[in-house]
Amino acid sequence: MAATQISPPITGKQTHRLSFTFSFWVAALCVMILIGLFGLFQVFTKGLIVTGLNDRVPWGLWITQDLSSIGLGAGAFTFSAIVYLFRIKRFEPLARIAVFVGFIGYTSAMIALATDIGRPDRFWHPLVFWNVHSVLWEITWCVILYSTVLALEFAPILFDSRIFRRWPWVSRMGHIMHKGAPVMAVIGMALSMLHQSSLGATYGVLSGRAIWFKPSMPVMFILSAIAGGVSLTLLVTILTSKLTHRRLISDELKYEVARLAGFTLLAYLYLKLWDWAATSYYSHAPGTADALARLQATTPYTQTFWWIEIVLGGLIPAIILLYPPLRRNDRLLMLALGLIVAAVVINRWNVTLSGLVVPPDWSPGILGRLVAASYVPSITEIAVSIGILGYALLAITLGVKYLPIFPHQQTRAETGD
Amino acid sequence: MKKKSEKTSLLSRRDVLKIAGATGAAVVFTQMVTAGPLSPEAIQGIGRQTHSQAETSTKHQWHMVIDLDKCIGCEYCLRTCQAVNDVPNDSMRWNVGFPETTENGLDFYMSRPCLHCQQAPCTRVCPVGATWVREDGIVAMDYSRCIGCRYCEVACPYDVRRFNWKLSTEVNPYVDAWGTPEIPRRPRGVVEKCTFCVQRIDRGLSLGLTPGVDPQATPACVDVCPVNARIFGDALDPKSPVSVYMAEHDTFRLREDFGTEPKVHYVRPTKQKKV
Repeated sequence: MAATQISPPITGKQTHRLSFTFSFWVAALCVMILIGLFGLFQVFTKGLIVTGLNDRVPWGLWITQDLSSIGLGAGAFTFSAIVYLFRIKRFEPLARIAVFVGFIGYTSAMIALATDIGRPDRFWHPLVFWNVHSVLWEITWCVILYSTVLALEFAPILFDSRIFRRWPWVSRMGHIMHKGAPVMAVIGMALSMLHQSSLGATYGVLSGRAIWFKPSMPVMFILSAIAGGVSLTLLVTILTSKLTHRRLISDELKYEVARLAGFTLLAYLYLKLWDWAATSYYSHAPGTADALARLQATTPYTQTFWWIEIVLGGLIPAIILLYPPLRRNDRLLMLALGLIVAAVVINRWNVTLSGLVVPPDWSPGILGRLVAASYVPSITEIAVSIGILGYALLAITLGVKYLPIFPHQQTRAETGD
Repeated sequence: MKKKSEKTSLLSRRDVLKIAGATGAAVVFTQMVTAGPLSPEAIQGIGRQTHSQAETSTKHQWHMVIDLDKCIGCEYCLRTCQAVNDVPNDSMRWNVGFPETTENGLDFYMSRPCLHCQQAPCTRVCPVGATWVREDGIVAMDYSRCIGCRYCEVACPYDVRRFNWKLSTEVNPYVDAWGTPEIPRRPRGVVEKCTFCVQRIDRGLSLGLTPGVDPQATPACVDVCPVNARIFGDALDPKSPVSVYMAEHDTFRLREDFGTEPKVHYVRPTKQKKV
């Protein structure tokens, strides 16, 4: 159970003394970032030849990381909408951490994308050269605009921090900006609804790719993003609370958010059931059936879908989150949330790779059907991914330690000063 | 506070104004996307203006026939393509070919250039409009606009597109023996593809030549074929080689069920050949 006694106020002295574990953790993350920088250097000097990607499988690990970071950042728009738009104030203690995690998710995604495109020097082209029929064009605009919204939502948190204490006007400006939170929540929700869904549509609209081509894709992506984003927000909160031995949110709120994640997951699983039943069980679309059969015969993706995505990442966490005796056990609760977060990442990998490794068979003969593509991420690719992950973890670590992310923390820090 | 007064009635005047404003904005947006400046037609127009240069009108529609019954699998078409378009690396071939077998056991040689789909999935998805279907039906590329996201590669069901994974500096082994490069080599980080040798078509038309008939104005792969298994021409001209050939033979297109409407047509293999 969470500690019930209120922790002592933090004094200035205490905050400046860093524990060995903390220093070691930060050092480890810095090493991860250095590994990533080494990988980035390889990519920018030699080109994408240093990846394991090829013309058959042109998208891989980085696109998975990009889709996952944005998906898991969905807690930001979910909690902003709940707190500032629907004005359910009891969720407010989680609004800041959600925005913060979202901001880190989106910046991670932008680093991954900038590395993945062949011409990072032309990243601005979608803003100037428009093709409104491309979902990717819409996504680019939404992600850029939404990252701006997140930065504006995040700025008041930053301006509230100890660093800016000596300039009161900065803090005041932050408070003025915070007044715009409801407006930001509306814009943020609109932008998020659009691009979180269109990330699924990126695959769902490709009429030549039977395994992806279905209208359920956008809906599945946004639902899994909400479940994953809410889970990650709560997981980070519980972990911070455990590690700092402080109560950051009430147990009631914790269980309520757990239920929210559980019900979203249940809705996802229900739609997934019909997605599968309508396209693969009750019907026989030749292209889809052929692709799925080849997927089952030649790759592990059918197995990973059923066992990891559905059972381990869906059913088990849903049961834990929705059955009160189980979710009241903090370890089980964290396990469930962790499983959902991992399942979102694995789902993005499975969706991307399953469609690519079983390319459509266009040859009028029978040998063309045997053509299969393969992909294994290269060391450089993994290095860059580790670096981006290191950046995200370091940002979260430093953020929850030094920024007034949790309201209680802030008031105590103030009394301590 | 003000919240209370708003709660007394279901919709305040402000709410009504908000809803009206939002509806109006939605209508304007829909109008723009369907018929206004953001409509498919208007956007295509923008693309044309910026890409224009030697682009012709809808007077021509360039199509190709590949007769699998005639093809002997000599692979001359693949090699000359690599020379003329300066593709030094075999793994980046624009023209792809491989030995195939029909369901009833006939061996034949399958080859395909870009199919130049009228409803090309690759052009639709490009976030910067770096690839588009020209008025004469050719799926063109603007290498200076491409950002290298490779979404077009993901969207193309025919595995046509090739990405420059590195700066290609190697010597092209096909040059001289199979032809001389007519276009500059592409930079690192952009996607490239078969263009139906658009440089020959555009230059040929400006010189008053007929693509499909005059060799200088015809794709290199068509010119080099020793058995005339590849036929090229303007499908809008009933006397063009391609129109005549299609009138005389039964043709099919690859995976018509995708709805891509390719402009490359095939004649089925009917007799056993040594490939």
